[in-house]
This record gives sequence, structure tokens and C-alpha cells, in this order.
Amino acid sequence: MSPETPTKASSSSDSWLTLDVWAVVIALLLALAVKFDILHNVPW
Amino acid sequence: MATSTSLSAVARENPLLKAVSIIPGVLLLAGIGYAAKVLERTINTYAKTHHWTFPNIEYVLWAIIIGLFISNTLTIPKVFQAGIDTYEFWLKLGIVLLGARFVLADMMKLGGISLALVVVEITLSLALMTLLGRLFKLKPKLTSLLAIGSAVCGVSAIIAAKGAIDADDEDASFAMAAILALGALALFTFPAIAHSLHMNDVSYGLWAGLGVDNTAEATAAGALYSDAAGKVAVLAKTARNAMIGFVVLGYAIYWAGKGQAAVVTNKAAFLWKKFPKFIIGFLLMSLLVGFHAFTKPQVTSLGNLSKWAFLLTFAGVGLRTNFKDMSKQGLRPFIVGALGEVLIACLTLGLVIGANRIWGL
Repeated sequence: MSPETPTKASSSSDSWLTLDVWAVVIALLLALAVKFDILHNVPW
Repeated sequence: MATSTSLSAVARENPLLKAVSIIPGVLLLAGIGYAAKVLERTINTYAKTHHWTFPNIEYVLWAIIIGLFISNTLTIPKVFQAGIDTYEFWLKLGIVLLGARFVLADMMKLGGISLALVVVEITLSLALMTLLGRLFKLKPKLTSLLAIGSAVCGVSAIIAAKGAIDADDEDASFAMAAILALGALALFTFPAIAHSLHMNDVSYGLWAGLGVDNTAEATAAGALYSDAAGKVAVLAKTARNAMIGFVVLGYAIYWAGKGQAAVVTNKAAFLWKKFPKFIIGFLLMSLLVGFHAFTKPQVTSLGNLSKWAFLLTFAGVGLRTNFKDMSKQGLRPFIVGALGEVLIACLTLGLVIGANRIWGL
């Protein structure tokens, strides 16, 4: 953890929910891409 | 210095520059993650070819070790920081996508057991941390933050509670440092203990989800044991995260009653604001798979995308753990945190063993 973490954390306290929404939106877009074979057989 | 400050200020205001500013750090996360995968494969192949008896070190551990090595031996240039900070986004993206790998019935059964255990775990953790905070004469709000962090979900819970109970930056920093340091220790101790107890994947996953505080570390601790344990750890941790609003609301009301925090006027709005929205995405993804929206190969693809997202998260876990910075935060909160965490780990282990006897996990 960097020394600035607390300041960053406090300044982002209102935006961490937005991060959740972004994660859901991007996940749904990826799911659509998989569904319509834009992304297919993603390797691991 | 002035130039870098003004540049970052411009980046904050311009979304395009903001997007560009995360690229170096994300590439670093991806590079570490990929190197970890290559290392796992290469070492295993080499050991097999040369008939060595070498413990299988998973990519998860390699990613964390490489990250830890970089952050504790080198000075990471500022240009990487914005991208490294995205590890939490990759974590949440990975969790939402992981929803695709849960059959709805399994999720309901395990989720139900997890929720029951979570309620017991939260009650015990809050009581224990409050008691330890009083015994060690920590500041009351720091005790509250440590209790919330250890009972619910680590750093996110501390950040959510900090504003609600009007705690100091310094207290939040202490509590976060203690939770992160102990989470890093759990990565190495939890799998070792579970192996010595011959725990099955589900029991261990539940224990990691209940006993490790920060979501990234809980996910990593689960994945270090096995893929199946990683899945269950995420589910248990998600059930725990869902409680964040209720616990923070309780503390906000307590401190408002003492006249040391703002009064919560609309409790429903407060709960919704604090609720981690990615959980809805996680459930939605599982529902979509449950309704056969995807074919089997497509579900595998979604699962693999989730693994890639987690890979970046694990690299971030190592990179943001700097033991020198943590040691600057002071010893007393760390001792209280450590004592509490060891006791909570024992209690949750007992809970999981009990649940295994009752429900046959």
C-alpha cells in the first residue's frame, strides 16, 4: 500500500459504487460478445 | 514533480486522458499475470521432464510473488500507479463473470449456507474486535473501523464506514494497513493449514471466504487451494459483502447517537448506496446461464474471461502490498488486528467444520 492510499481511498469513497456498475456493464458486454460469437473459445 | 501533478490533474478532468493514463499500469498487471502463467507451466514441464519432485506452485502464487518482489524491491514509477489501482475493477469484473460458472441451485444451497455462517461470523467478529480494541485502548472509531473491516469486507467496508461514522483519515489508514497486511499473511497460512487438515474444496472455499477479509485476498486464497475452492470462496465472500450496508448503517446510527457522526435520515437509500452493486451482476450472470442463455462452450469462455480478470487482480494484490509502508502505520492496531484475525480464523474454521458435519459440504 502506498503512503497516499488513505487520501486516495477517502477521495474515491463516492466513486467506488461506480466501479461496481462499470464492472457489471463490461461483464454484460463481454457476455454479449461471447453470445454472438464475437469472442469465441476464449483460451486459458 | 509539478509537471506530474498538473498532468495527473488534467488526466482526472479528461476521460480520454484518464483512459490512456491507466494503460501502462494495466499492461504491467497483464505482464506479471502472463509471466506467472508461463512460470507455472515451464517449471511444471521442466520438473516432469527431469523427474523432479517439485511442489506445484500455481500461477496465482507466482503472480502475487512477482508483484510483491517488484513493489518491495523497486520504486514503481508513478506512470504505472493509475493502472495498478484498477486491480479492484478486474476483481469485480472477474466476480461478475464467475457467476456464469455457478449452477443456480448450487448457488442457492451454498449461498444459503454461506449467508447463515456469515451472520454468525459477523456477530462474533464485531464483538471480538470491539473487545480487543477496548482491551488495547485503541481509539473508539479506529476500533469500529477494525471491527467493520474484519467482520465484513476489508478495505471496501472501511472506506464505506469512514464517511458514515466520520472517522479520521489516519484511523482509516491504520485499519486498512492492518487488514491488508493480515490478508497477505492469510494467503500463505490458510492453504497450508487446510492442506494439513485435508479439507475438501467446498469447506476450504467457505473458510477462505469467511476468514480472509479483503475480497481480492479471499479470492486469491481460495484459488491457491484449487479452482473449485476459489469459486466457493468468492461466493462466501460475496455473501459477506452483501451485508456491508447493514453493518455500516448500524455503526452510523451508533455514532450519530453519540453526536459524533451525521444522522442517517433515509435508511433505505443509505443501504442501497452502500450495497455492492457487482453482486447483482454476479447473480444476473448465474440466472442467464440458468435460463440457458449460453451454450456450454460459451459458459467455458465466460469462465476463462473471469480467470483472466482475476489474473490481473492477483498481480495487483502483490504490487500494492508494500511491507515497509505497512510497518510505518504502527504496531498496536496491527497487534489488535492480528489477534482478532487469528481468533476469527479459528472461529470460522470451527463454523465450517460444524457446517460440514451438519450439511455434508
